[in-house]
Amino acid sequence: MEIEDSPLLKEIGFHSTDELFQDVPQKIRKKELKIPRGISEFELTHLSQEIASMNRSFRHNFLGNGIYDRIIPSSVDSIIGRSEFLTSYTPYQAEMSQGMLQSLFEFQSIISDLTGMDITNSSMYDGFTALGEAARMAYRINEGSEILVPETMYRSKLNVLHSYMTGLNVRLVPYGISPADGTIDLESLEGKINDNTSAIIAEQPSSLGNIDRNVAKISEIKKKALLITYYDPIALGVLKPPGETGSDINVMEGQQLGLHRNLGGPLLGILSFRNEFARKSPGRIIGESNDTQGKRAFVMTLQTREQHIRRAKAMSNICTNQALFAVAATSYLGIIGPSGLKKIALKTMENSQKLINSVSRSKMLKRELNGVPFSDVILKYSGKGDLQHKLAESGIAGGIELEKLIENPHRQLKGSVFLSVTEKTGTESLEALSKAIEVIQ
Amino acid sequence: MTYHQATYDEPLLSEIHSDNRYKVPEADENIINLIPEELRTDNVNLPVIAEYDVVRHFTRLSQMNYGVDLGIYPLGSCTMKFNPKFADRIASMENFSETHPLVGDDSIQGSLRVMYELQVYLSELSDMDAVTLQPLAGAHGEYTGILIIRKYHESKGELEKRREIIIPDSAHGTNPASAAMAGFDVVEIPSSPDGTVDLDALKAALSDRTAAFMITNPNTLGLFEKRITEIAEIVHKSGALLYYDGANFNAIMGITSPGLMGFDVVHFNLHKTFATPHGGGGPGSGPVGVKKFLKEFLPIPVVEKSPDGKYFLNFDLRNTIGKVSPYYGAFSTILRAWAYITYHGSDGLTENTVRAVLNTNYLVSRLGNDFKIPFGKLKKHELVLTTENTGKRALDLAKYLIDLGIHAPTVYFPLNVHEDMMIEPTETVSKRDLDQFADALISASRQDEESLKHLPVNLSVGRIDEVKAARQLKLHW
Repeated sequence: MEIEDSPLLKEIGFHSTDELFQDVPQKIRKKELKIPRGISEFELTHLSQEIASMNRSFRHNFLGNGIYDRIIPSSVDSIIGRSEFLTSYTPYQAEMSQGMLQSLFEFQSIISDLTGMDITNSSMYDGFTALGEAARMAYRINEGSEILVPETMYRSKLNVLHSYMTGLNVRLVPYGISPADGTIDLESLEGKINDNTSAIIAEQPSSLGNIDRNVAKISEIKKKALLITYYDPIALGVLKPPGETGSDINVMEGQQLGLHRNLGGPLLGILSFRNEFARKSPGRIIGESNDTQGKRAFVMTLQTREQHIRRAKAMSNICTNQALFAVAATSYLGIIGPSGLKKIALKTMENSQKLINSVSRSKMLKRELNGVPFSDVILKYSGKGDLQHKLAESGIAGGIELEKLIENPHRQLKGSVFLSVTEKTGTESLEALSKAIEVIQ
Repeated sequence: MTYHQATYDEPLLSEIHSDNRYKVPEADENIINLIPEELRTDNVNLPVIAEYDVVRHFTRLSQMNYGVDLGIYPLGSCTMKFNPKFADRIASMENFSETHPLVGDDSIQGSLRVMYELQVYLSELSDMDAVTLQPLAGAHGEYTGILIIRKYHESKGELEKRREIIIPDSAHGTNPASAAMAGFDVVEIPSSPDGTVDLDALKAALSDRTAAFMITNPNTLGLFEKRITEIAEIVHKSGALLYYDGANFNAIMGITSPGLMGFDVVHFNLHKTFATPHGGGGPGSGPVGVKKFLKEFLPIPVVEKSPDGKYFLNFDLRNTIGKVSPYYGAFSTILRAWAYITYHGSDGLTENTVRAVLNTNYLVSRLGNDFKIPFGKLKKHELVLTTENTGKRALDLAKYLIDLGIHAPTVYFPLNVHEDMMIEPTETVSKRDLDQFADALISASRQDEESLKHLPVNLSVGRIDEVKAARQLKLHW
């Protein structure tokens, strides 16, 4: 039916839809919309397939550095594909949204258990922005004017952190990372800690890919500063959780917990902290309460910290978060279970060792960094030209240059590349990689 | 035909105990010895549950949750329209979903084309000159927009003095929160008696200290700011910029645009106007459009097209604010929005706007006899009514609606109307459902006040003790 014939129009006493817009002055009316006319679903799907085929798919994947190709149980996609979850809004009407509220409460709980932290909120946009919010939160807590960051932090992460520091009287001060084994240089760090230090940011594994034993030692030297850790959640299958090694705030990127890579978005930010910081924390939090009959029920709580109530004095402006992916992560952890997560972490490490072995015969790629890598293996590359480009010709994705990720890498590491593995990295991929390297000059 | 919520008394995931037999590749146990002993754990603290129990648990929980696939979802300023399934299907195409962000421009020409086209479409729809897709939600878009405005004033050497951002009292809460987060002082101005911007108050608030004026048009009362070009003129005359909050863009898309109205910066909510699913609170996506003179400040990278037709990520913007998120934005959401625009096209998008506004005005005529609807009859995408004249509380009426299985509107927002309900039906709702909603709301207002207090009784839980939730914090099972 043509819209001009709509019975609604007659009901409101209008003769034409133009009357609906009589309050929009003619001089600002849009004369023309230069967008193609609509097409059918069939045509759209066909067009989309054609465009998708302009992307190149790789048989062998060695890209990581924050986004990983991990096992995703089919059940996870099925659960977050439930349209009652997928097409719901923020649970403002709590009684009608108990399913999502309970799921988010479970997300908070399962992450707090996994990390050993007291409280986890119901999600942030991604790891980087959650780190930015964590740093703002630390500043709200102690108003220290310096935040210490590892000198090897990826440029993109540092840039996001910088953006989040806008308007605060805070300086980001780099501390040393040992170029010998990629761990925190505790002496350098200790030298930078003073009365003005608001927080110390530490990554586990480090940006250079190695498991860092020194993260656990920061709490001994941090004085009044808060320790903000940035953990790889999969590594928690084998590593002591941040809550047991002195973290005050812990941040993670949750993409590895059941999300597809999607060109790096949308992702899942995970923010946990100690009990006493609850009222200084950003983002939505779900609490357990009861209904008038005493029955267990869930509801958004501590909303007086948030923008819709506190406006300019809110802890953050965040409202939309990544609720659906919080459900994905909870389903993932529930399905994988404790033994599954451990196996996945071990398999990842096993594969990174295999990768080191399989490139060891190559003259062009040398493992010069000591220490134990988790997913990301840094290798010194002495060949000519862009390795990533050359590998792509053999159907292999990977070999990203260190300089693309880190602003001023250590002199010793210049010209290094990353090859990353997960539990999915198969023998055939490792073989393809070593073959490809053999022929690259 | 309304929603009937399932009631399972569903246990928490931690209260379910069954065998976990999910298979993952076996690993060499000895590998753990590579980890320094003091860092190692043997105790991963996660529940042990069978996969089938996890699926049943979440399926049951999903049946205790209302979504837009189940019916009208008239939350004001939320634009809960039907989320087309073709968009989900396209987003799950493996060549899109299994792409790594660092794989290099040559390998993602398809994804870059989608992003480029969406940038072009959003520019055209808003009459802006350049768009970044990097922000991840509406509030994140606002923050990005304010950072751009900040950098602009900084580049002119005026940041020291331009410390204020003016915001009307009817604005979304994210506006003042975003402005404050970026280090500005918020100056709130009251609305005029007709519910729109009070020009005198605005003129009085504007000075050489003003960095920007942030508004949405139509505003949260569903009223179009007729004097918007005049507003733009006086804002610009004071050297400040005009920011458009795109939460209400569904009211005007294709009819007018922020660019034509004189705005300098605008954010879009792809999860509202462009029908991407909201996922119970996210993911969203909040692209930002700017006028030409602000393009150099956009976050990096932006997607561009070379003369030979190749798409590429341009990291080289002279005065960029840097980055606001890890990569290029919420790609799978961007892709869905692209699909929505491509499907509806110039003809469909404009017609959707007209239908959304028509539906709202139909509700005005249906509800106007029983409720006071302040500030004139003609509305755009949403209407705000007050329940004060009925002697009932807005909250109680909301609970009556959900008890019937009809999702309630937003309540107690905007803040400048007492006991209010903000109702946005969108274009994807039939006359039958509009009538059912209006009848239910009118019927709610005629109920006995005492009986309303006991609602809901037909949902999985009754009214929840929110005070207890905040006082006796229980945030963990």
